[in-house]
Amino acid sequence: MESNIFSLKQLQNWMQGMLVHHEPLENGNAEVPVMVEHVVNSSERLSAVKHLDIYRYSYIARLRACMQSQFSALAYALGSELFELFADQYLDTYPSESYTLNTLGEKFPAFLEETRLDASQEEKETWPDFMIELAGFEYALSVIFDERANENNTVTPNNTPDELLKPAPVLHLFHYQYPICDYYLEFSQGKEPELPFPEESYCAVTRHNYKLGLFTIRGAQYYFLKSMQQGNTVENAKNDLIKTFNFARIELDKIWPEWKKSFIEAGFFVAKNVKGP
Amino acid sequence: MIEQREKYSDLIKSLPNPGLGLGLRSKHFNYILENNPEVDWFEVISENFMDSGGRPRHVLRQLAERYPVVMHGVSLSIGSTDPLNKEYLTKLKLLAEEVKPLWISDHLCWTGVNSLNTHDLLPVVLNEESLKHICNRINQVQDFLERPVVFENPSTYLTFKQSTIHEYGFLRYMTEETGCGLLLDVNNVYVSGFNNDFDPVHYIHQLPHDRIVQMHIAGHQHCGTHIIDTHDRQVVKDVWNLFSLAWQLTGGVATLLEWDGNIPEFDVYHNELLKAKQHMSSILVVDQVTETQEHGEEAVSNPVDFLVNDVVVN
Repeated sequence: MESNIFSLKQLQNWMQGMLVHHEPLENGNAEVPVMVEHVVNSSERLSAVKHLDIYRYSYIARLRACMQSQFSALAYALGSELFELFADQYLDTYPSESYTLNTLGEKFPAFLEETRLDASQEEKETWPDFMIELAGFEYALSVIFDERANENNTVTPNNTPDELLKPAPVLHLFHYQYPICDYYLEFSQGKEPELPFPEESYCAVTRHNYKLGLFTIRGAQYYFLKSMQQGNTVENAKNDLIKTFNFARIELDKIWPEWKKSFIEAGFFVAKNVKGP
Repeated sequence: MIEQREKYSDLIKSLPNPGLGLGLRSKHFNYILENNPEVDWFEVISENFMDSGGRPRHVLRQLAERYPVVMHGVSLSIGSTDPLNKEYLTKLKLLAEEVKPLWISDHLCWTGVNSLNTHDLLPVVLNEESLKHICNRINQVQDFLERPVVFENPSTYLTFKQSTIHEYGFLRYMTEETGCGLLLDVNNVYVSGFNNDFDPVHYIHQLPHDRIVQMHIAGHQHCGTHIIDTHDRQVVKDVWNLFSLAWQLTGGVATLLEWDGNIPEFDVYHNELLKAKQHMSSILVVDQVTETQEHGEEAVSNPVDFLVNDVVVN
């Protein structure tokens, strides 16, 4: 067979097809399927197919390793075999379209949701919910870690007046059906957490000196901080809580100094006069 | 066009030799910032920093104030038949304006088509059609960046029947047609030579030595029937010998040790680099690592998982 069977574009389509889709997408000008031997040279030690196989094997193994790095807690939770299965299917369905590997897993949580085995059943298993939430949390952490923001390097005094407090530039709030933050923290501390039972949880993620801080918070605190992120003052956020959750004003005022202290220490707040308008 | 080419060519020839450098890896961020090790310069992976608004970019800013920096890319995809990615090039240019690298480099390869990125350095067909296509794109990239670009010979694991030009000749024509520079990866020459039945010594002799501004050295895994460019271990004797030859032929250029898998502690990495000093003359006095074969399916070429951010949690 003539070796110049492909244009440059066809050749690249053919090779990429062999790597990503395990089959050629382009067949050049040939009427019959193009054999690897017609495109690739054999060498003293390897056949043409073996030469191509080095690229084929490395393609999936390389990206699988990246997925493993980006979703290390999920890989632990699923076990390496099951994680690899999901990762390989994901990479097959959503091959990378970006010049950066940091976004490789962007669609992974949605993919896990789309492909859950019980998707069409009314009664669902619970463990996939945990895995999907954990995947979403891990990807969110990688985004927060590298997001552009005015880094909060200042210390906000504990006695800052309430009206001068505002949410820190990097403060992200999460609400889950599983104790995702606790699980992740245990894993990242080198422990071997067990698969948790469903338990509604809330957490806050901050970034200080370019390092992430992860905090499990209470539901009321989550809604209070959400309210402040929507532009409300401390006073208005308190009023929101009272109105929405029937909190007793006296109870909230009693607990507020404790909240305020822990929120400032955790870096949830910065003082308006110290950082920005 | 000819004027531009000569301008780029002159710029390439005037680039300095900053000495012996290391790749910047996130594992070593703290060590470098706290200890200011005596490394001549650092090579950074452009894609790791161009979108970063967090710790990687913060560390790079500090590093660039203390050390000369070279930006090395893996996603330019100069050989692809897809259009050049203007968004990518714009970010690359912005990063260069901030970091002020000695030069910007990437690979003679393509990474994907139809908007996909395999994140591999795939081999280009070495013929006239491909040469014309690639030179045209190098001209566009250099004009956009307003500076010459340096291209590295990749490790290759296959050759195409449609290729009609040897890689060293292809690289020579590239430099002549565009004024671009070359990054000679001596380990890649060794790997490609073994995999594709050519003599690495002959290859290095045939290159245009006055266009080589940098060298790479690295470790690899010998699998018996082929070699994988794993960047995960010490440099073997045969590669040091090639380095020594290239050092003599080029008159000595900036040299960098790549170590991307099983990344060791900083001092181990640095000590391996410093062995290069003993290979700059023809008199060798150093214990050298000889080649051992490791069979198995686990070797992966061009490992890239080190390119994924290590999220740091307090």
